[in-house]
Amino acid sequence: MRNIQVFDPALCCNTGVCGTQVDQNLVTFAADVDWASRNGARIERFNLSQQPLAFAENAIVKGLLERTGQTVLPVTLVDGQLALAGRYPARDDLARWAGIAAPAAPQSQTQAQGRCGGGSRCC
Amino acid sequence: MHFLAQPPRFLFFTGKGGVGKTSIACATAVQLAAQGRRVLLVSTDPASNVGQVFGERIGNRITAIPAVPNLSALEIDPQAAAQAYRDRIVGPVRGVLPDPVVRGIEEQLSGACTTEIAAFDEFTALLIDSTLTTDYEHIIFDTAPTGHTIRLLQLPGAWTGFLEAGKGDASCLGPLAGLEKQRTQYKEAVEGLADPLRTRLVLVARAQRAALQRTHEELAAIGLSQQYFVINGVFPAGEAEQDALAAAIHRREQAALTAVPEALKALPRDRIALKPFNLVGLDALRGLLVETASPGCADAVEPATLDAPDLSTLVDQIAADGHGLVMVMGKGGVGKTTLAAAVAVKLADQGLPVHLTTSDPAAHLAETLEGSLANLTISRIDPHEETARYRQHVLDTKGAQLDAEGRALLEEDLRSPCTEEIAVFQAFSRIIREAGKKFVVMDTAPTGHTLLLLDATGAYHREIARQMGGTGLHYTTPMMQLQDPKQTKVLIVTLAETTPVLEAANLQSDLRRAGIEPWAWVVNSSVAAAHPRSPLLRQRAHNELQELDAVATRHAQRFAVVPLLTEEPVGVERLRDLASRKAP
Repeated sequence: MRNIQVFDPALCCNTGVCGTQVDQNLVTFAADVDWASRNGARIERFNLSQQPLAFAENAIVKGLLERTGQTVLPVTLVDGQLALAGRYPARDDLARWAGIAAPAAPQSQTQAQGRCGGGSRCC
Repeated sequence: MHFLAQPPRFLFFTGKGGVGKTSIACATAVQLAAQGRRVLLVSTDPASNVGQVFGERIGNRITAIPAVPNLSALEIDPQAAAQAYRDRIVGPVRGVLPDPVVRGIEEQLSGACTTEIAAFDEFTALLIDSTLTTDYEHIIFDTAPTGHTIRLLQLPGAWTGFLEAGKGDASCLGPLAGLEKQRTQYKEAVEGLADPLRTRLVLVARAQRAALQRTHEELAAIGLSQQYFVINGVFPAGEAEQDALAAAIHRREQAALTAVPEALKALPRDRIALKPFNLVGLDALRGLLVETASPGCADAVEPATLDAPDLSTLVDQIAADGHGLVMVMGKGGVGKTTLAAAVAVKLADQGLPVHLTTSDPAAHLAETLEGSLANLTISRIDPHEETARYRQHVLDTKGAQLDAEGRALLEEDLRSPCTEEIAVFQAFSRIIREAGKKFVVMDTAPTGHTLLLLDATGAYHREIARQMGGTGLHYTTPMMQLQDPKQTKVLIVTLAETTPVLEAANLQSDLRRAGIEPWAWVVNSSVAAAHPRSPLLRQRAHNELQELDAVATRHAQRFAVVPLLTEEPVGVERLRDLASRKAP
């Protein structure tokens, strides 16, 4: 089983509902993670405002933050290798990485919408 | 006193800042200790004078009080606890991650929830059986965790992710990630809180109609444990004969007491009379819970002399700009809505176009002004309504595609208090764009913390840009509008009492973090400015002077003082009076 790690921007809820505009991508992604986990995927999420050390200790993530700043987030690593930056993976992506058979609906819409603008987050 | 009868191990005093929780907690501790019980008093009051009261330096460790056998005390500073928590999280990455990233994290952790959860973390050890507390038969707290914290800690779903795997699923439990205690400890602590055999919750309020209504709502929100109700600072009937103001206060309080909400009536209730003395020193504390008929202050007290500007002086300066945003901010119960209305009326009187927006749940005041002045328009933001609408909107749109589990997760996050802040913010941003042409006066505003977060991500800017749509209007960024004193004036409202002034100062520093300098302070309901004859009121007027001086010299760039009134300032005429009353 491959290990999927997602480094979130600083946010207080994983669904990001605290933003001025709830980010559909974040809502969908939270549900996708939930779905994939229930299907046996191993997914870890790190929140910048709560586990910053995880960001500092990962050379790839730290390097991206230094070069591009926070807009590079979210960053996804699969088995420690950079898989995606600047947007959340789709359900398809998670399924492929985790080796889960054909995903059930609904599909994530992240690819169509490009980078997640996010709302801001409170707390 | 009912609340003192057969007290359980834990006693919590809760209520708005300035109602006298700390004094009552101290007096309770002294009384129980005098009965031979071993008592630990825990104060989280940021203006804690517990040390001063007992003539002992206390601080963040359990300290025996030599003057009171059987009593020990402990002071917890919630702000310091929150700072320690931030340092724990951010310290290791400072200088490792880029500075702007570190600053962003720090702001995320500067909200009210972080402070609340960090303070609860400090509590936890006291609520469970441990060597720390075995010596004490009673542990008395001058505060209580909010219903929100308790519910969060009770949510089974919330726990599974966070403390077991260390990774989050549910919303605002986020701040718990960096805390030191174990899940079992929190669970035990919350169980202790919910157990009426171990815990008594005492709600403290003043005899004011609006305050009693809010107390009722808070009580429903906390929703646990054995509850008692104390009405503090009740104006003595005898004093009412001294002057018109005293009579009016007495009348108003008695009316409020007969109109106590049903849910509160069902609780065991005590009244504590307003005392003429400052509650400092053991004798004063011993006297607090004693039911005396007379305040024992018959000797004429010299009138307090006060030379302070009135509200219309401030309004004249505001009017000079011709248009702009006036945000009236302050803690609940200090009279924001009334003062916002008074400012709006005085501006409208000068022939200026004014839009008054109030979030006053009663909507009473707004109704009395409706249609009274040609150039004054009034609108309302109802926080409950806005939040419900926003919540439903998110579920209908963003949640539409989700499966049952995903939807449950989203619903859980939408119960966080942030949701209300954001919902109200959206209503707020719809209105402030009018301030380019007229005066917009609001009795509500997002906190500096919220503004910073919104600004940091650029979301605020985008939100406004979206709302401006294709109107083609020229605008600076909204954050710049709020930071520019020519365009936006923040009035901070407080009362001339220790805790409210401290709370206002905290609000001010929160705004300063966001680069917003409050333009003026308004001290509302000042007894000193009302020039009473009643000895009790004169004594209170004297007590106010120190706080008024602190506002004038330490906190405010400019300020005004509004006297305590004999009549509730409802309607245009009385609002005018309120603003113009010169304090001689």
